[in-house]
Amino acid sequence: MHSIYNFVSGPLAWLAFILFIGGCLYRLISLMVLVHRKEKFIYSYMSLKYSLRSIFRWSTPFATENMRRHPALTIVAFAFHICLILTPLFLLAHVTLIEESWNLSWWTLPEGLAEIMTLIVVAACVFFLVRRLVNPEVRYVTSVSDYILLAIVAAPFITGFLVYYQWFGYQTLLILHILSGEVMLVAIPFTRLSHMLFAPLTRAYMGSEFGGVRHARDW
Amino acid sequence: MTEAAVKEEKKITDEGLEVGVQNLTAERIQKVINRVLKGESGARLKAYVDTCVHCGLCSEACHYYLSHDKDPQYSPVGKVKQTLWKMLKARGNVSADFIKRASEIASTECNACKRCAMYCPFGIDIAYMMLTVRRICHLLGVTPLYIQDTAHSHAVTMNQMWIKDDEWIDTLQWQEEEAQAEIPTLRIPLEREGADIMYSVIGPEPKFQAQLLYQAAVIMDVAGVDWTMPATPGWDNSDMAMYTGDNEIMGRVKRAHFETAARLRVNRIVMGECGHAFRSVYDMGNRWLGWRMPPIPIVHAIDFYYELIQNKKITITEKFKEPVTLHDPCNVIRGGGLAEKARYVVNAICEELIEMHPNREHNYCCCAGGGVINCGPPYKMTRMDGNRIKAEQLFAAKSRGAKILIAPCHNCHSGLEDINHHYGLGYEIKFISDILYEVMDKPA
Amino acid sequence: MMMKWLKLILIAPALVGIILLPAFSQEDMEVVDDGGFSKKQRPPAIFRHDEHNEKAEIEDCNECHHVYEEGKKLEDESSEDQICSECHDEKGSGNTPGLRKAFHTNCKGCHLEQNKGPIMCGTCHVR
Repeated sequence: MHSIYNFVSGPLAWLAFILFIGGCLYRLISLMVLVHRKEKFIYSYMSLKYSLRSIFRWSTPFATENMRRHPALTIVAFAFHICLILTPLFLLAHVTLIEESWNLSWWTLPEGLAEIMTLIVVAACVFFLVRRLVNPEVRYVTSVSDYILLAIVAAPFITGFLVYYQWFGYQTLLILHILSGEVMLVAIPFTRLSHMLFAPLTRAYMGSEFGGVRHARDW
Repeated sequence: MTEAAVKEEKKITDEGLEVGVQNLTAERIQKVINRVLKGESGARLKAYVDTCVHCGLCSEACHYYLSHDKDPQYSPVGKVKQTLWKMLKARGNVSADFIKRASEIASTECNACKRCAMYCPFGIDIAYMMLTVRRICHLLGVTPLYIQDTAHSHAVTMNQMWIKDDEWIDTLQWQEEEAQAEIPTLRIPLEREGADIMYSVIGPEPKFQAQLLYQAAVIMDVAGVDWTMPATPGWDNSDMAMYTGDNEIMGRVKRAHFETAARLRVNRIVMGECGHAFRSVYDMGNRWLGWRMPPIPIVHAIDFYYELIQNKKITITEKFKEPVTLHDPCNVIRGGGLAEKARYVVNAICEELIEMHPNREHNYCCCAGGGVINCGPPYKMTRMDGNRIKAEQLFAAKSRGAKILIAPCHNCHSGLEDINHHYGLGYEIKFISDILYEVMDKPA
Repeated sequence: MMMKWLKLILIAPALVGIILLPAFSQEDMEVVDDGGFSKKQRPPAIFRHDEHNEKAEIEDCNECHHVYEEGKKLEDESSEDQICSECHDEKGSGNTPGLRKAFHTNCKGCHLEQNKGPIMCGTCHVR
């Protein structure tokens, strides 16, 4: 177990972070290159004011017509994304590991809260799964990849929860937890999880078009 | 002995599509798709396709989806799935029948109204993707016959309706004479270089809505506007080539239009109550030609009436009595931000405005725009079945007292006439200028 | 082998801390004393002192119960008469790591060096 643990938490973690950060940079830079090469005009329409107006509006719960139309989804989606990002970043165990490696540490979530946030992520994944299966308009545009992505996102949190309680085979699950986290990190730039990178850009562009050219709301 | 009623599914036959697909080969399809998706398209298409998480939240934005009892095939993303996703996944290796269906979806089951862009959390521009599909179909020669014909007309005559150069001048002079019966000094000044304003209209106005030219002339005359109209091709601001994906023709038509205005050395182009033409000169055509914004300022009729009324160039004798409701056309409201100005104008000329809901940027599409009505009679029922929600929306406004429906856009106007008739709504549909002309203070 | 020890000494400034509550006799000891933490977020680490040292063949007390002076471990001195948190407060200061880090580097650090003993969170902090 020592060697497997050391491998997944050492070289493999490095690889995952390199692929994650490198992949994100690659995707963003190659998109910019594409803009530069073919759609330079996009720059001329981008407006900081309207980009931020749009991003802020769409980052505020219930601030848009469509969010008000789907209150349950709005609550779940916001809770999901907040917990998804904050929990791993401010988890005691994660910060402890980073402290041991790099002597860096920061504020951590109380364990009880982190536990609830983990459960929120898992529950939200279940909600999304049910939504995909039950809502005809979602089901129609769902492919296998959507389920795989959902599983990739849910896995680190499910295993993380089991590992926290040390249920089932702790050591195997911990290794699976680390592996699944690494898979998710690498998946971000190379799958549709890349909406983490691109959504602010598409939002900003649409916000700029609506604000600067169309003089209309985009919410 | 009765047989169960079977809902009759009328198969649409469109020669443009039928004949078009016969000329396709697998190689040609693949070549064209890749030319557009890999060659012409860039970061936007890539970001849109890669960012979409298939959440389906755009569905409720679409009037087709709502009107078809939430049939997912009609949701915006559902239409992307049936067209672009497959093309991308198969790397262009799709059948001729697939192209035919893709053309039908993109050209007649989407009005490119961009309401869905306001519903997508990521601001993905699905209308842009549908127009990209139209572009592919255009390059493959699989475009609905009627709209293709108007695109041909643009290519040949620089106007939408095969109007000959002399017919155009003739029509203007005819309307000038007609109006002189009312205001003897009235002129429709042709080719007056250095005028402040060039007034531009769409092909159908001289073709069969000449009274609109009359009304415009009276409004201009009474307001004392320094205006002119061109006597050469380039007078038409409409552009169906924009909607078939024939960007090259769109560019030619728009260049002719702007160059005509430049030749006349006008300060501004004022246009009639048309939505798609506004989009073509303000959004798409100018961009194709390389102008960030129109090279000569474009003023839509709504904006122009607002200006005239606010500056008291036009005063109102007696407001229009009957309660009206206002349809917000996508291209000038969601595309031009004229929602409040439209209300200012309508309130200035009418006693009572009863809002339909939703309204402003969120108004339901007329289902005629985006070139759909221009695809002609084969698709009339596509529009009627595809916009039951509009009928419901209009009916609700009617039940609250609205009698007149104001539609300040040609496509909306025609499309709503069909809806009005098909669903028996009993509205009278008017342009703003119809009412403005009626209630404005004119020399006795 | 020598290299390993050498390394251990070289990274010594980072390696610190150790426990033992005098009130408990070491034979009875089951877990590491976590009295120095104001907020206990995990169960205390399992640690049977004598059993561990027998198995790990540790003779010198100051292997764990170290004393540092100016960043150097004093070879002849040991600190089993103190509790860890006397030197290692929760925050840590200068070269002296905080209590949590001190525990972790002292136990896990050695386990990693020796390639023996538990290194995963839940293998010490057993629920």
